[in-house]
Amino acid sequence: MDILCIQATKSTPYVCFDPTSGTFTIKGECYPENAAAFFTPIFAWLDAFLPLGQPKTLVFDIELLYFNSSSSKALLNLFSLLERHLGCSDINVNWRYHADNETALECGEEFKEDAPNLAFNLVELEQTGSNG
Amino acid sequence: MLTDLYELYKQMLNEKIIFCFSGPVSQHVVEGIGATLKLKMEIDDNDINTIQRVFSIFVEQMQNLMNYSAERVSQEREGGDLGIGLFVVGFKDGHFYVRCGNKIKNDKLSVIRAQVDELRTLNADELKTLYRRRRKEPSPEGSKGGGLGFIEMARKASQPIEIDYTTVDETISFLSVTVYI
Repeated sequence: MDILCIQATKSTPYVCFDPTSGTFTIKGECYPENAAAFFTPIFAWLDAFLPLGQPKTLVFDIELLYFNSSSSKALLNLFSLLERHLGCSDINVNWRYHADNETALECGEEFKEDAPNLAFNLVELEQTGSNG
Repeated sequence: MLTDLYELYKQMLNEKIIFCFSGPVSQHVVEGIGATLKLKMEIDDNDINTIQRVFSIFVEQMQNLMNYSAERVSQEREGGDLGIGLFVVGFKDGHFYVRCGNKIKNDKLSVIRAQVDELRTLNADELKTLYRRRRKEPSPEGSKGGGLGFIEMARKASQPIEIDYTTVDETISFLSVTVYI
């Protein structure tokens, strides 16, 4: 499988799925006009990749400062998709949030509850510094 | 024509309106105004969680307007078919609010009224349960988003969502939605 890389825009996150290293990154803000359209290539890639099964643990690092309600639905679909493929590979999700961002933490907690079989870690990041 | 801009300026200052826009809304408008709004609230030293809530409600309101406004304009460069409407962000009685107004078809209006009436009766836990249940379901027919926009706003709001409307003619009304943060 080729690497999947989507550059960030003002309203969509950076996405990089690297099958070689087993790291899967989604980072930024997510409020596209059409969330279903934005997530379509991401789901298509995962639908092809996940059934292959992988010897090493797949690590999803997700750091979203903000996402809108339709993206929230797409994210839940993503976690459900990962849950369905736990038989093929070990999968870890790191939900990365800044300590001062209450909403991001609450959203992470709700996803964790709604994807109960997934190893879903809430990872608190340092306070946002001047160097980002 | 609006002859006295100073009057408008004073009125906006008195009513603590920090942003006002009227016209076609594209995704670029949402991104640009959203960033400006955040910056302005940061300069005014607002708490990050307040800024996030205002921004979130702003985005949901704008995306509703883009999807449901009955008044539209074609604009290829901005991505086709844009909804027209207006919105105001202001501060009243210790709370920020985001108001959004646009023309809407009467059948769509009754769907929104029924939904908001239901949401107004729910407490925070009930809203959370409804949100999570609805999120697992397929998107409702005719919804371009996830059908979650109003629930999301109700969860982030400090008071029940207010709607009012004026009948324009037998098919169209002007809907205004006010959310206090």
